[in-house]
Amino acid sequence: MNLPKIDLSSLPDLDTLTGLFGSLLHTSRIIESDDSIVQLMAFVYETTVH
Amino acid sequence: MIANPELRALRSDDSPQCDAQVAMIRTMDNWRARPEIASLLGELEEFSAGAELERCPRLAALFTPGEAAAREMAAGFSAMTCSALSAWPLGHVALRHFTDGVTSTVLIARAVNVTLSLVAIDGDGLGFRPESATASFGPNQTWEHVLGGSAGVELIECKPTGPRTARLSRRKMDIGQGTVQFRDGKRDARLLHRIDGALVSLRLQRRRPNAEATREYDLASGALLHQAAGNPRDSRLELMIAMLGRMERKDAAPLIAELACGEASAALRWQALRECLALDTQIGFTALAAIAARADDPLSGPAGALRAQLLEAHPQLQEVEPCPV
Repeated sequence: MNLPKIDLSSLPDLDTLTGLFGSLLHTSRIIESDDSIVQLMAFVYETTVH
Repeated sequence: MIANPELRALRSDDSPQCDAQVAMIRTMDNWRARPEIASLLGELEEFSAGAELERCPRLAALFTPGEAAAREMAAGFSAMTCSALSAWPLGHVALRHFTDGVTSTVLIARAVNVTLSLVAIDGDGLGFRPESATASFGPNQTWEHVLGGSAGVELIECKPTGPRTARLSRRKMDIGQGTVQFRDGKRDARLLHRIDGALVSLRLQRRRPNAEATREYDLASGALLHQAAGNPRDSRLELMIAMLGRMERKDAAPLIAELACGEASAALRWQALRECLALDTQIGFTALAAIAARADDPLSGPAGALRAQLLEAHPQLQEVEPCPV
């Protein structure tokens, strides 16, 4: 079969994009009530999968 | 550059630091081996596997109003780490910690998707930060026991009214030493408005595995402003897939297709599908067709539309055999 090579940029995203874990638009006063920040540090520094 | 002589000496001989670290780790291990802590850590594992908090008596006692267990545990933990640090100042407390000068956290214990942290927030520092314009709702449950200080907070309840909108109800209240609060992160968020002095609390958080996204809404209008992965695993996999794509690792295409057809979140699966299509047209298109054919799959609609779009642009894709699902 002679199949075409598909260009990644031609493939659409879903209607609502999803950012990386822990990402926020306004960080102010949200991180004080959530442990994501601790998890995010671990996410950056760890390579093991739990 | 100013370098402490003791630290400078470590360049030629790091044994004082190694000795301090061994002593520090031994101290932490001894603390974890105390019967009451060992049993608490065991319960944390059960809690992580899905047990109700009430089924974990030591853990539940930490988050019961009027119980002294939380203060005693936090005081014991702080005394242990502070005395170890003063005995071995070159040692490092090998627990995850974070501070930005206002919020400081140390992760006392963790079991897979559960964290038990001690959190201190400085009221003066908080006062310099602008008030929140958004609230974030994610797939987690949080129990919080205030050990010291007091604060004015606002609880926000989120009721989605559409895919990109929600009704947010707001309720102000004061919290202080002894307050215990539970929040279901999908529905409840908390904003801190004012802290008198410093607010210290013990926090237990459980994240749902394979969870959906975290959503951040505009407080004034209830409009969805941002969406993020609900767990670090999804983001880790997404980064790995993107890297394999840039490396043009065609050999990874079957694995990526498996992920796209699997149980993960829709956002991760869609990215896997895109990368797979770009890496290996045949494997990617087979996965795309399989997903499009599943009526109960949340990606069925977009996959069907993309399949039709690709077939129109490249009619030869009709030769690709459908996936034997």
